[in-house]
Amino acid sequence: MPAILPIGLLLVAGALVAVHGFASTRNVANLGLQASILLMLAMPMTLIIMSEGLDLSAGAVLSLCSVVMAEALAGGHGLASALAASVAVGLGFGLANGAMVSLLALPPFVVTLGTLGIAEGAALVVTEGNAVSGLGSGIASLYALDVFGLPFPVLVALATWLLTYVLLHYTRFGTYVFAIGGNRDALVLAGAPAWAYHIAIYAFGGLVSGVAALLLTGRMNAAHPTVAIGMEFDAIAAVVLGGTSFERGDGRLLGTVLGVATITVLRNALDLLGIESSLQVVSIGGLILLVIVIDSLRRSRREQVA
Amino acid sequence: MNRDDTDGSGQPASAVPLLALRNVSKTFPGVRALDDVSLDLHAGEVHMLLGENGAGKSSLIKVLYGAYRADAGTILCDGRLVEITRPADARRLGIAVIFQEFSLVPFLDLAQNIFLGREPRRPLTRLIDHGRMHREARAVLDSLGLDYDTRALAVDLGVAQQQMVEIAKALSQRARILVMDEPTAALSERESKTLFTLIRQLRASGVAIACISHRMQEVFELGDRVTVLRDGRRVATLPAREATPDQLIGMMVGRAVGAVYKRRQYGKAGEIVLEVRGLTTATGVRDVDLNVREGEIVGLSGLVGAGRTEVARAVFGADAIVAGEVRIFGAIAKGGPERIAARGVALIPENRKLEGLALKRSVQDNLLVASLWKLFPRGWYRAGVARACARALIDRLRVTPPAPRRMVRVLSGGNQQKIVVGKWLAAGCKLFLFDEPTRGIDVGAKSEIFALIEDLVERGAAVLLISAELAEIVHVCDRAYVMRAGRIGGELARTELSEENILRLAMHGA
Repeated sequence: MPAILPIGLLLVAGALVAVHGFASTRNVANLGLQASILLMLAMPMTLIIMSEGLDLSAGAVLSLCSVVMAEALAGGHGLASALAASVAVGLGFGLANGAMVSLLALPPFVVTLGTLGIAEGAALVVTEGNAVSGLGSGIASLYALDVFGLPFPVLVALATWLLTYVLLHYTRFGTYVFAIGGNRDALVLAGAPAWAYHIAIYAFGGLVSGVAALLLTGRMNAAHPTVAIGMEFDAIAAVVLGGTSFERGDGRLLGTVLGVATITVLRNALDLLGIESSLQVVSIGGLILLVIVIDSLRRSRREQVA
Repeated sequence: MNRDDTDGSGQPASAVPLLALRNVSKTFPGVRALDDVSLDLHAGEVHMLLGENGAGKSSLIKVLYGAYRADAGTILCDGRLVEITRPADARRLGIAVIFQEFSLVPFLDLAQNIFLGREPRRPLTRLIDHGRMHREARAVLDSLGLDYDTRALAVDLGVAQQQMVEIAKALSQRARILVMDEPTAALSERESKTLFTLIRQLRASGVAIACISHRMQEVFELGDRVTVLRDGRRVATLPAREATPDQLIGMMVGRAVGAVYKRRQYGKAGEIVLEVRGLTTATGVRDVDLNVREGEIVGLSGLVGAGRTEVARAVFGADAIVAGEVRIFGAIAKGGPERIAARGVALIPENRKLEGLALKRSVQDNLLVASLWKLFPRGWYRAGVARACARALIDRLRVTPPAPRRMVRVLSGGNQQKIVVGKWLAAGCKLFLFDEPTRGIDVGAKSEIFALIEDLVERGAAVLLISAELAEIVHVCDRAYVMRAGRIGGELARTELSEENILRLAMHGA
């Protein structure tokens, strides 16, 4: 069990006691909405980190996807084609990241730093730095939809979790995520096209970003070129908090979900307390270090035993 | 007799060999890794492969599973000509290789590891059929008499258990030809016995097994036939029961090491500089005693993995000492590499590019990096002094070209090695630990390195020379220790130094 569970529970308990309005129906619904986009970024991020990789471009690509979707809607295209355009952009970036990491063996940090810059710049160029609005009511009403009592964004996020879970544990792709991070040579010796699966991990991330743009755009019924910049920080933080390691293909999806929940609760509680966003980032940073120190102490104990 | 009995082994030619290599050669720039090697593997035999370090055993394995493509020669499987260009080809032919570096994925369970790349899937959904995978993994493990939980993660297994799972993995691929690279290297005595039982069981079921070993005892305990390789050539193949240890060792030695260095003179040994007693480390060194005196070149030999480098690292303070003591000039040495180096000890590591040199810096910077405080005790750098000092060293070491500003990366291997030595000379070191100083450098540079080493001891330094090249130890050293499985197998005085004696100690132990 990663250290995040008791810490997250303590945090929730603290928020219930100390933060006025935290347990209100409206705020709980709000928590779900706030968590959904982060969860969608954090699911593929877990697989990427398990493969000893990293995706710094996730937030910027999400912003660009949202901008592309909004431009399409504003240009009078239907929701389906707008979504298709967004997914295509996301997938394109994912494939590019994956190809450079897998085929050219470039460090993921540098590759995705580069695509971060490209995606961020492209979003600014397309919009000339302005928000895109006038999208009609289609996407906003989709966002506001309730399905079986669940808000649409929460439903999409949960579906992403389920999909990632099935991929990771019930497909060859998922098995090979463990192998690429844990012992890539073994996979190559087993005769599997490790390079293709390696690309697919990043492509999956891009694809999910393309879908997540639906939630981001629907939430404001508008798009802004820099709205999701920095969201990769929260996503990577959630993965790391959840106990996924940057080495040897050791990862767990449930841990990431707990990480997402903890970060969302933390940000929400600090919001309610009127603490500004930059200080929230400080607190997330502190939380990461705390959890990592606890986990590494426990791990070194385990290795001594082994 | 329908078998082409070219190996002269006298093995009853009951059938066509499962796998046959015919006149296989593989050349790398400057190295003949395999030279006209022929080898037969029959169903139901354990075929031991024997050879010194670098004799071509690993290259042979790599050709077998498609990592290398032979330049010449053919491979026959069941008497039919086959091409093995990728690991997948080898697998299709039923060849499985178990490496020393295991091919298990740490955070997958045993069933997933056994079926990696061949996961059974449900017909409609294409999702992995975990039930079937675990059932089949269970069956394979049961057939080997292993009661491991198929849901256990590979990371939680010990080395011996991992080895068994590797074998299970190979068998589940219906491997008919199993190649093992030193399977007992990391196993305890008891674990080895379990493995041998398993291997015999496989042999009885008709699997052909090729096994690299460095332990003479294993060759006779396990092997039906033995093939000895030397310098990439097959020296002989013979039935194990007709061979004797001395005969096999005789076949392994006598490597053609071009222009072996001739020691100019043997000096008189002085005071003890390094004394090691009962040294034991977590890296596998067990109860090692040795000493090195002033003016002596003492060899430390043994096969790969015997613990030679680990001894040097422990002496230098790079690895923790679990038990025993190291004395330098009579005083107990404690602390990390900085403290040991400050007492006049230099370690010239095997991987000089990684550990010994700043490749992108100049010759001068590299030569002076360990002696800056000695040259400039007040911390102020004086360019003139530095240049003069670097020039003196370059002359003494005969670095070519004699250019202090040249980037070290562009120098030849031999010259790079000189720079590493020069670095410690400048620092005033008296005890030099050389770990494979001639690896990867050409013959001419080798004798220059040895001339340099001899030069060091003539000026009163003490040298511990680690080398896997037996000829180097024989021709360069005053005396030598031979290691085996982390222990000192024995000590050889100058009159006893011969390749046969070293190998005998390295493979049998005392």
